[in-house]
Amino acid sequence: MTVVTGVTCPVCGTFCDDIELVVKDNVITDARKACAMGAAKFLNYATHRNLKPLVRKNGELVEASIDEAIGKAAKILADATYPILYGWSNTSCEATRVGLELAEEVGGVIDNTSTVCHGPSILSIQDVGIASCTLGQLRHRADLIFYWASNPWSAHPRHIERYTMFSEGRFQKSTWRGYLSRLRGIVSRKRLQRAANLVLRRDVFAAPEVERRLPYSMFQKKRKMVVVDVRKTRTAEAADYFLQVEPNKDYELLQAFRMLIKDEELDVDKVAGVPVEILEEVADIMVGCELGVLFFGLGLTMSEGKLRNVDAALNLTRDLNQRTKFLIMPMRGHYNVTGVNVVFTWQTGYPYAVDFSHGYPRYNPGETSVIDILCNDEADASLIVASDPVAHFPRMAAQNLVKNPLIAIDPEVTPTTLMADVVFPSTFVGIETEGTAYRMDHVPLPLKKIVEPPKTCLPDQEILQRILHKVRKLRGNLN
Amino acid sequence: MDIAVKDGKIVEKVDERKAEVVDASGMIVMPGGVDIHCHIAGAEVNSGRLLRPEDHVKDVEVKTALTRSGVGYSIPSTFTTGYRYSRMGYTTVMNPSMPPLEARHTHEELDDTPMVDKATYPLLGDWWFVLEHLRDDLIEECAAHVAWMMTATKGYAIKIVNPGGLEAWGFGRNVKNLDDSVPHFNITPREILRGLCKVNKLLNLPHTIHVHTNNLGKPGNYITALETMKCVEDLAEGKRPVIHITHCQFCAFKGSDWQTMSSGAEEIAKYVNHHDHATLDMGQVIFTDTTTMTADGPFQYGLYTLTGNKWVNHDVETETTSGIVPFRYKRKSAVHATQWSIGLELALLIKDPWKIYMTTDHPNGGPFTAYPTIIAWLMSRVARKKTLSRISKRARRKSLLPSIDRELSFYEMAIVTRGGQAKALGLTEKGHLGVGADADVAIYNVNPEQVDPSKKYKTVRKAFKRAAYTIKGGEIVVKDGQIVRSVFGKTFWVDIKTSLPMEVNDDLKRKFREYWTVEYENYPIPDSFLHVPAPISVKAEV
Amino acid sequence: MITLYPKRLFKFPVGAEYISPDVFAEKSTKEIATLQLWEGNRRRTIGDLFKIKHETGSPSDEVTIRICGDVSKVRKIGAKMSMGNIIVEGDAGMHLGEEMNGGVITVTGNADSWTGSMMKKGTIEIKGNAGDYIGASYRGSTKGMNGGKIVIHGNAGYEVGCFMRKGLINVYRNVGQFAGIHMRNGTIFIQGNSEGRAGAQMINGKIVVCGYIPSILPTFTIDNIRPKVKVNGEKVEGPFYRFIGDLADEGKGKLFVSKNRNPHLNSYEEYLRYSV
Repeated sequence: MTVVTGVTCPVCGTFCDDIELVVKDNVITDARKACAMGAAKFLNYATHRNLKPLVRKNGELVEASIDEAIGKAAKILADATYPILYGWSNTSCEATRVGLELAEEVGGVIDNTSTVCHGPSILSIQDVGIASCTLGQLRHRADLIFYWASNPWSAHPRHIERYTMFSEGRFQKSTWRGYLSRLRGIVSRKRLQRAANLVLRRDVFAAPEVERRLPYSMFQKKRKMVVVDVRKTRTAEAADYFLQVEPNKDYELLQAFRMLIKDEELDVDKVAGVPVEILEEVADIMVGCELGVLFFGLGLTMSEGKLRNVDAALNLTRDLNQRTKFLIMPMRGHYNVTGVNVVFTWQTGYPYAVDFSHGYPRYNPGETSVIDILCNDEADASLIVASDPVAHFPRMAAQNLVKNPLIAIDPEVTPTTLMADVVFPSTFVGIETEGTAYRMDHVPLPLKKIVEPPKTCLPDQEILQRILHKVRKLRGNLN
Repeated sequence: MDIAVKDGKIVEKVDERKAEVVDASGMIVMPGGVDIHCHIAGAEVNSGRLLRPEDHVKDVEVKTALTRSGVGYSIPSTFTTGYRYSRMGYTTVMNPSMPPLEARHTHEELDDTPMVDKATYPLLGDWWFVLEHLRDDLIEECAAHVAWMMTATKGYAIKIVNPGGLEAWGFGRNVKNLDDSVPHFNITPREILRGLCKVNKLLNLPHTIHVHTNNLGKPGNYITALETMKCVEDLAEGKRPVIHITHCQFCAFKGSDWQTMSSGAEEIAKYVNHHDHATLDMGQVIFTDTTTMTADGPFQYGLYTLTGNKWVNHDVETETTSGIVPFRYKRKSAVHATQWSIGLELALLIKDPWKIYMTTDHPNGGPFTAYPTIIAWLMSRVARKKTLSRISKRARRKSLLPSIDRELSFYEMAIVTRGGQAKALGLTEKGHLGVGADADVAIYNVNPEQVDPSKKYKTVRKAFKRAAYTIKGGEIVVKDGQIVRSVFGKTFWVDIKTSLPMEVNDDLKRKFREYWTVEYENYPIPDSFLHVPAPISVKAEV
Repeated sequence: MITLYPKRLFKFPVGAEYISPDVFAEKSTKEIATLQLWEGNRRRTIGDLFKIKHETGSPSDEVTIRICGDVSKVRKIGAKMSMGNIIVEGDAGMHLGEEMNGGVITVTGNADSWTGSMMKKGTIEIKGNAGDYIGASYRGSTKGMNGGKIVIHGNAGYEVGCFMRKGLINVYRNVGQFAGIHMRNGTIFIQGNSEGRAGAQMINGKIVVCGYIPSILPTFTIDNIRPKVKVNGEKVEGPFYRFIGDLADEGKGKLFVSKNRNPHLNSYEEYLRYSV
């Protein structure tokens, strides 16, 4: 039995690197410090996996040799007139580099999960820029933390304890104890409320009343957390203040804040369902903090307004820097989606939706992004790596995806691999294969190899290298 | 005169019957170009690339059988960067800014930059361990920690940017001069500079401290540049330099505001002409739309407030900051034109070409592809006059250039673009064509015996744009400005041997979680990470 | 007049920046047929994909290109053109007339996104609907349309006139959200309804909405009620609420919204009583 320390967790953008794994006979038996998502991956990753290369013959997926699968995949890509290579966010930078080389060789479009996630954030960063930092800066210095349209309690469970409210910094203390005592109050208040609702036969699901005044803790000199969301999430319950915004009205709220922090008056009484007096108080707190940060999630990128919601948030942060120090950071989902953006950018100049069909990189989301290409039925083949688009894409895109030859590289059995024409069983990066990945704040960290993979599974990087080699051979381009 | 090449090195002679002969008659032969300061890889550069898709569409490189495709005018993608340098005859480039926490990123990008040898400088001027040790006057402990950091991040030299200012920027502040105290740390920029200068000597590093001064880009800052050089004057031994002031043009402003801004190049040149302990590089401005990117967070924020352009900021915990703002230098702007003049004045007024090197602080002053244009300006009064006639009248009146007759010779240009840079870097096998040097050779199609560069500057410019031959490590990689062979260069880094490495390791291990949000064991870059590592062994005196 | 008939329905995107009067001028049918195109990642020629009919001896010296058929996948038709005419009898693809510097493009069917993006001079007329980002800039750039005229008889999509600097966009029917976003100057005339957020982050310029708009951004302030507004020299009957914004960006743009079609906005009138 061995204990492996300093393990980086290959799940979410929080990218914790302090996990300790207990390994016995090549099996991980315990994942210490990991959150529920991390533990689930480390302990259960082997349950639904592909162990053999598969090729579709006469409508059925049958086992094949690796060489046969490579040959078929290479032919599909080499023959294609507009192939797409999609996924990448769940594998290493090293594999992504090979993917880019392959996409360039076959003259296809290479895209990653940003296209359905924080792509809009990237588009707005390209218009406005971004005032950001590494997470440690916030742990040390941030005393005002906004989680806007993001719910780390569920999606990035250790974010708050590692980087914000419950973390200990050089200049700011953890608020863990304060939260615990507040929690007792919250829990007992909830119980009383439920009892009262039953007795008085009140509508249990009535919307909570908007708190008319900011609580006292918001004016104290300590770390404070504000959650802005359309509903009261678990994160919101832990916050010092919860600002409930009307769905699809974040743009108006962010723009309104831009005026309020400059001490300008609005012509209206309410914005996004919130009275302006409350917004003025929040604006005062924003301006009065030592260092504030705004974390935002898909609530901004995927609600009405999309990239312009992020545009307004980036502008708000930038405007706040005239009065105090304020930073902003998107809450990236997959553990290496940032890394994939980074690799794409240094090799091609563009972070996602890169089209190589004319012999050089071209970029225009809306035209070269995979969802649009699929909805317009323009692709004629696809290679999916470390992703499951059949499960996640809009219906029309998924339909058009599966009707063309589909190659899937994935360790697990997924709806995508079940619909594929060629399936490669790959290894799990960060558990069975080494690599590099980037945390949501662009810090690169090594992914470790903890256990040996099954003999029939190869790393993504190697599978892609072999396909590339075969494609070059087919085209007579070997040098 | 013939030059013999074997196994990647320049040798006394080879058997001519078995050798490949390159006929360079009628052409000028120089060592491969060395660029001491160009931002080509890492977090800050890549954020710049992401920020500017509109800059990329202007300039694309199509994939060929030998080369990868790419894009970019002011911030090319990595493959394009390597190819373009090589086509100009450059063989060694130095990435000057690496946030240590993100060192892995810089090295990944350098590995994807073909054709050239490279190295990178970790940013240490505001590292908490440096600030705390120097505040307590623990020079030797500081040196030991710096040694650890240099090895952990596979760095080459100590980079200092706006010392003290970056830590202040953590809370949105800055430092005003060398004796301003850094908030929370009770140390001054002067103490940081002197401390790290002493550390550099104790560690016997091949290069000096590489300094981007405080108050960059502020009218009147030439005084800060002089103070910065003066503050380590007493630490010099003999004629060896102890400090390198980088992109000096940006810290050579006289005046009290933008209206009265003028050139301080004369004062700086005077000082440098009388002292041997400092080297400089130009940081020349080109009139173009480019991208500024430095580790100087507060300075970059200032540029945003000046221009209203999009602005990227990235503060790195415990260590440093960075900022990116697109910027257009206009001929008709009195300030920009004065900046253009300052860079050239510095190069022409400093008499010894071994003390001042040609750079644009790529991409801050302009893209490195503009180097041939700068060569033309340095070698030809007529070329300078032509540009002068088209710039702002106010700047032309204030400029010292009309009164400067000096024109650099080919020999001086070779020093300013390769010999001097290699020497300052301590790269003993680069920048010259003597026996034992690396076989990095650039051959340009201009005959120094027939062409008068003063008059035929256009010919010179054309020749330096596309090398007739670039030879890298003994192989011909470029012919007539085209890549004929794709190679990957080495990454230099200093492997410092100190006497008590274990103690430093333990100290860092204990404090790591307090300072950073990553684990101690995940921070250092393993030797196997670099594709072609070239460690330079150095024995420290601590 | 040169007529191009697409030989088939295209599935893959066709890159057609050479279909332009400037390029076709003084070329024979044979030369036109060899001009290069991309179909997906395959190099093709115009002759591969189109049947070409060249009618010589046209009355004027102007080059006219007529395209008959569904070219909704053919992109960059008329890009950078500076003279002549293009008539598309069918649907046109993305980037129609991109960076145009003169001449006229007419489309009888629909157009796609980025129609007239970054154009400087000339006229584009779409009889059907158009997509998003009409007259917009490229990603990351602030340089949108800088002159010329775009007329859309049907509906247009999102972010019409994004980063526009000069010129006129006239939409007969409805537009999506964010018409005039980041506008620097110019005029956007919407004769139908707007889905909302018109004039977001505009610095200057004029937007007129003759139909319904669900709400006005909180960073706009009501300035006046105008009986008429001038659009491209002609007077349009109001009455219109005139808003100034986007104040969050210190903008001085003018947003005119029909008073009669938007009774839910009459609460703004009380602010007028306090204005001097």
